[in-house]
Amino acid sequence: MINFIIRKILALIPMLVVISFLIFLGVELMPGDAVDFMISPEALSTVSPAELEALRDELGLNDPFIVRYFIWLANILRGDFGYSLQSGVPVSQLMANTLPATLELTVAALLISTLLGSLLGVVSALRKGSIADNVLTVAGMIGVAIPQFLFGLVMIVVFVFNLEWLPVGGRMTPGRELFFQRLEYLVLPAVVLGLALTAGVMRYSRASMLDSLNKDYIKTARSKGLKEWRINLIHGLRVAMTPVAVLIGFRLPMLIGGAVVIEQVFQWQGVGQLFVMAVRSQNTPIIMMIAFFSVLMVLVSSILVDIVTAILDPRVKLS
Amino acid sequence: MRDDLILQVKDLSVNFYTNQRCNMALRGVSFDLRKGRTLCIVGESGCGKSVTANAIMQLLPDLSRIESGNITFKGQDGDIQIEKLPKNGKQMRKLRGEVMAMIFQDPMTALNPVFTVGFQMNEMIQAHTDLRKKAATEKSIGLLTDMGVPLPEQRVHEYPHQFSGGMRQRAMIAMAMACAPEILIADEPTTALDVTIQAQIFELMLELKETEHMAILLITHDMGVVAEMADDVAVMYMGNMVESGTVQQILNSPSHPYTIALLQSIPVLGHGKNQNLEPIRGMTPDPYHRPPGCQFAPRCDFATDICASRLPDESVFDTNHMVRCFHYEEIKRNKEIQHGKK
Repeated sequence: MINFIIRKILALIPMLVVISFLIFLGVELMPGDAVDFMISPEALSTVSPAELEALRDELGLNDPFIVRYFIWLANILRGDFGYSLQSGVPVSQLMANTLPATLELTVAALLISTLLGSLLGVVSALRKGSIADNVLTVAGMIGVAIPQFLFGLVMIVVFVFNLEWLPVGGRMTPGRELFFQRLEYLVLPAVVLGLALTAGVMRYSRASMLDSLNKDYIKTARSKGLKEWRINLIHGLRVAMTPVAVLIGFRLPMLIGGAVVIEQVFQWQGVGQLFVMAVRSQNTPIIMMIAFFSVLMVLVSSILVDIVTAILDPRVKLS
Repeated sequence: MRDDLILQVKDLSVNFYTNQRCNMALRGVSFDLRKGRTLCIVGESGCGKSVTANAIMQLLPDLSRIESGNITFKGQDGDIQIEKLPKNGKQMRKLRGEVMAMIFQDPMTALNPVFTVGFQMNEMIQAHTDLRKKAATEKSIGLLTDMGVPLPEQRVHEYPHQFSGGMRQRAMIAMAMACAPEILIADEPTTALDVTIQAQIFELMLELKETEHMAILLITHDMGVVAEMADDVAVMYMGNMVESGTVQQILNSPSHPYTIALLQSIPVLGHGKNQNLEPIRGMTPDPYHRPPGCQFAPRCDFATDICASRLPDESVFDTNHMVRCFHYEEIKRNKEIQHGKK
């Protein structure tokens, strides 16, 4: 097990190098460069082309592509992710400011969707064909189909404007920054994002559970004279859990990538908002940092999924 | 011999319902199971062998139902009408495992892949006794030892996929024997195994029948297995029992055309490649478009008009040799004449 993890982490290194190159290449291929966005159109008329060139030289934008790539890579290895081209604030600091907000939101949403999704899916499978199952099936389809921003806006209309239970957006009132004081801000975005993700987990765990309940070992368990709850929840659920755990594992990258749409709707100052802003203003250091971390998270999640699968299913060997 | 009667099935009918259609899978099946004897139910795919076994255990799928008939367990505390018990009620659960246990065709899929063999055996033991986990594990080890599983102390903590096919079936039998059941139902227990392992498994079952004085209901499609294992034989075709009796009666003087045809279609070792194998002509009818009257009539060499008019009744001769055919006396006479000529 430990061997496996070490080997997997070592295998990450060449992959990350290749991916960092691809990210750098992708940003390079975007039209325009940072200088175009640093100087406002009004100021542009007063700046001579020579001064623009000098600025480009100063920012290192005129060096050959490969040179710039290696400089960037070397900086990253030293923990220097560069500075925002607009504000000059270190990218790592921007990330440190926004990541906690995003994690707060995405962890809450992931918890809601995992617990609720697998619970409803299992209930749906055990009561297959009942009214509850049909209602959940329809709700699940709507949940998968409905766009998050629409759902978010509807929830705002209902809970903020009509019922006036919750604040409309943002993350906290200044001066009231303890976790439970911030909770009322978290509820709406977390529930909206959580419910949107629940639908998928629910459909998946229902299918997985039904599959498991139709297997021969369920009949064996019944022939042993076991109680129904034991047959369903020990024999049925245990096998059904593995694919659901894999699905949830592959959602972990979302923890960092953030929920761009939901953050926008609820004015949640997280990574998603930072990313949108950076792309709009072609703030390449920020884009590269977020892209790089998202990729890292995907790779780490896939290792985690391997490990969890091996724990849940004894037939899977880590080798 | 009457006292040995442990399970009596009378006129059992089971229907399967699919898309507004109804498949009458069992249409009045009767037989007796006796202590210390093996009853083999033999027949081709889809004739209702497994349905019979599952009906006794009340393990039929959701869309099927016992329509009529009785399944009576003759226990020490009086008779129990199994078909009247709620499907997953307390009494039925007590019967399963404690009084009758079942082993299945494919031991790989019949054991849960994510639990150790020991866990699955303990579950059976703890469901029916007050033993704690430690004592249950010890008992499981003892059972595995009895069933000839090598290194049981180690094996008990292993998962089914770490067992070979034969060992898995032994573990399955060990689990079935955990609470010393009076009836063992084996639904084609060796179909997924090779012949050497098959012989070992059967030897084990014969031994258990002798030592535990158990009644065994063995479902098979293999006449060779019947010859080897059975004390009594019941031949099924299209949801009916067409012939039954002791193994000598069925194999030496088969009286139903279907049984005769079945026996003629088996190659015999040592007769060389020139032996005459007679396949049964025609196809098994579609259960949704059954022939009227005797189900075998369209494929039968002896069929006459009366065969298509109604299902023949069960006729009994030689004390307990039952046959469901209008023409069995004629067939018997023909045979005797043939034997006389030889």
